[in-house]
Amino acid sequence: MSDKQQIFVRRRIEAVAGLLALGLVLLLVRAVDLQWLQADYLTSLAEKQRYRQFTAVAPRGSILDSKNRTLAESVETPSIAAMADEVPAERMADLARALGLPSKKVEGKLKKRHGFVWLARQVPPMVAEKVMALNIPGVRMEKEWRRYHPLGPETGHLLGFVGIDGKGLEGAELSWNSVLTGESGIRQVRRDARGHSLPDGSWLREPAPGKSIKLTIDASIQSVAYAALADGVRQQNAKGGSVVVLRPKDGAILAMANWPGYNPNSFRNFKPGQWRNRAVTDVFEPGSTMKPFSVAAALTSGKWKPDSIIYCEKGAMQVADYTIKDDHPEGWLDLTGIIVKSSNIGVAKLALDIGPEPLHEMLRKAGFGQRSRMGLGGESPGIVLPTERWGPVETANIAFGQGIAVTPLQLAAAFSVLANEGLYVAPRLLADDMQAAQNASHRVMQASVARQVMSMLEYATSADGTGSKAVPVGYRVAGKTGTAQKPDERGRYSRDKYTAVFAGVAPVDDPQLVIVVVVDEPQKSMYGGQVAAPIFRQVAESALPYLGVPAEIKNHGPWQAMEVAAEAPAFEAESTYGMSMREVRRFAASRGLRLHVHGSGWVTRQKPANVAALNSSESLEVWLDE
Amino acid sequence: MASLLKPWLLVPVLAGLLSAGQIWVSHLRYELSLETQRLNTEKQDALGQASKLRLELANMTRPERLRQLAQQKLGMAPPKPEQVVNP
Repeated sequence: MSDKQQIFVRRRIEAVAGLLALGLVLLLVRAVDLQWLQADYLTSLAEKQRYRQFTAVAPRGSILDSKNRTLAESVETPSIAAMADEVPAERMADLARALGLPSKKVEGKLKKRHGFVWLARQVPPMVAEKVMALNIPGVRMEKEWRRYHPLGPETGHLLGFVGIDGKGLEGAELSWNSVLTGESGIRQVRRDARGHSLPDGSWLREPAPGKSIKLTIDASIQSVAYAALADGVRQQNAKGGSVVVLRPKDGAILAMANWPGYNPNSFRNFKPGQWRNRAVTDVFEPGSTMKPFSVAAALTSGKWKPDSIIYCEKGAMQVADYTIKDDHPEGWLDLTGIIVKSSNIGVAKLALDIGPEPLHEMLRKAGFGQRSRMGLGGESPGIVLPTERWGPVETANIAFGQGIAVTPLQLAAAFSVLANEGLYVAPRLLADDMQAAQNASHRVMQASVARQVMSMLEYATSADGTGSKAVPVGYRVAGKTGTAQKPDERGRYSRDKYTAVFAGVAPVDDPQLVIVVVVDEPQKSMYGGQVAAPIFRQVAESALPYLGVPAEIKNHGPWQAMEVAAEAPAFEAESTYGMSMREVRRFAASRGLRLHVHGSGWVTRQKPANVAALNSSESLEVWLDE
Repeated sequence: MASLLKPWLLVPVLAGLLSAGQIWVSHLRYELSLETQRLNTEKQDALGQASKLRLELANMTRPERLRQLAQQKLGMAPPKPEQVVNP
C-alpha cells in the first residue's frame, strides 16, 4: 500500500472516529437535556400519564327542624356529559332520543365546543341507564348532588333553594351556605397501560360533607300556619299574606309562612318576585296593632294609669291641619276601653301628651326600625322616622300605626315583649343560637306595665272586642287587630287597598305562642278582626294542643265552690273575680253600681279593672265563667 | 447429595425466596385494595340509600299529607278542647 493510500485510510478512520465522538457528545448533551434540564417537566408528563385525579363532590348538609325532621336533603343524582369531539355524528340522534331532548339541541351542544360538555344535568336514574346502555363513545355519566325540600311550598320562602352547582341562592340555603356546603375531595389513582384505573388509589384531599343545621322551625306548626293562611287568603280573595309564629320565652321562630307559596324543588317555574320571604323582607303599616306600645309608653311615663280616662271627641279630632277619625265614635274611655274599641283619638291624645321621645324610645327598644339579625338575608329594618321629623301629626299617626312600617317578624318580636313581661328576646331561626338569643335580651318596659297591657289586650279579644274571632274555644288570648290603608302609586293612602293584621299571644296566663297574621289586600272585608283573626285562631287552636297546652276545662268541683264561699263578704272586696252571680249582684247593689252581666257561674273578667275606684251609678261589666 | 449444597447457592435461593415473598405481598396489597374499594363503594351506596330513605320518610310523613290522610281516608277530625289533655 502506497503512502497516499495509507493517508487516505487514516483520514477515513479519523473521520469515522470523529463522527462517532460527535455522536457520543450529542447523546451526552441530549442525556443532560432530558435527565437534568427537562427532568421536572418530563417527570410531570409521565406522572400525568400514569396517574389520574378525580374530584369527588361532597354532599351538602341537611336542614332539620327542631324535632330533627328533614326539611332539606341532598341526594346523589346522575348527570350526562360528553367529550364533544369524541361523539360520532351518526350516534347523536340516538343520544338525543335517550335523553328525551330534541336532536338539534344535543347537536348544538356537541358542536359548539370541543372538550367537556354537559348534555343533561340531574336526570332520573332510568334516563341515565338508558343513555349509558347505548355505549356511545365520549358519552359518560357523572354524579352530582340534587337538593330536595320534602315540604315543598310550605317551607319554600323560608328555606329558599339551591342552584344546579350546589350553591344556596335564596333563604336559609343562601344565608347558611358556607356551613351547609361541603368541601370537595381529590382522589388520585394509578392507571395501567390501557388507561384503566388500578384499585390502589389515595386521597390527596378527603371530601368533607357539609354540616347539617337545625332550625327552630317546627314542621307541624309550619304546615298548620301555611294551610290556615292559604285558607284565609283564598276566602278573602286577598293578594297574599304572611304568618309568623314565635315562642316568646326564647325567641324561637316556630313557623314563618307566606302565601302565595312556591315550590323550591321547581323554583325556575316561578318568578323571582315570588321567591321573596315577605315575612322578613316586606314592610307594612301596622295600624292599630301599634296601639299597645303607645299605651305602654304612656303607662311607663307615669302620667297615665290603666283606669285613667280620656275623652275620645265623639269620633273626630283636629291635629294641626289633619283630622283624626275613629270608626266607632266614643266619648270617655279608660285605657282598656281605648284598646278594646281601638280608638285612634285615644292613643293620639296619649302620644301627644307624653311627647315623641318616650314613644320613639319604646318602639326602638321593642325592635322596630332595626333588623333582628336572626340570620336570614334580605331582612328589612322597617321604617321608623327619627324624632326630629315627628311633628304633632306624625306623633299622633305613629301612635295608631300610620307613618311607621314594620315587618311581620318585627311585630311578632315586639308582641313577645308583652308576653315576656317586658323583656325583649331577639327572634332566632337557628336552634344552636338559642343561648345567644337569650343573652341578647333586654328590658323594654316594666313587668307591671306589660301585665297591664296584656290584660287590656285580653279584653280586646272578648266578645265586645275587635279581636273576638281570634279566640279558640277553651283558651285565653291577648291580641290586637289592625287595619291599615296601603299607600298608592302617588304616595297617598289608597281608598280600596288595605292590610288586615292580627297580632296576639296565647295562652294569656303562660304565653307559649306569639302569632302575627298579615293579609294583604283582602277583598271581602278590610278589618283585621274579620280577616286575620280567624287565621290566628286556626293556627292557635291546632298549635296549642300540639304543644301540650290543654284547653281550660270549665267544670268547677265542690272544693272550688267551698273556697269561693269562704272568701270575704262581697261588698268589702276590691275585685269581683271569683264571685258567683249572687255575690256580684250584692256587690253592685251595695256600691250602687249599674251591673252588666255576661254568662253564668263565677266571675272571670271585669271591666273596669279597678272596681274600687268606681263611684255610685257608674257601670260595672262582668263576664262569668259558663 | 451434600456435595450439591454449596454455600454460594444460598445467595440465589434467598434472592428467589425474597422475590417470591415480594410478589406475594404485592398480590395481597392488590387484593386488599380491591376489597377496600369495594367496601368504600358499598359504604357510599349505603349512605346514598340512607339519604334517599330519609328524604322518602320526610316526604311520607309531611304534616299536610298526614292531615289529608287522617281526614279523608280515616275520617278523623281535629280534637275538641276537652279531648286534649296535657300528657
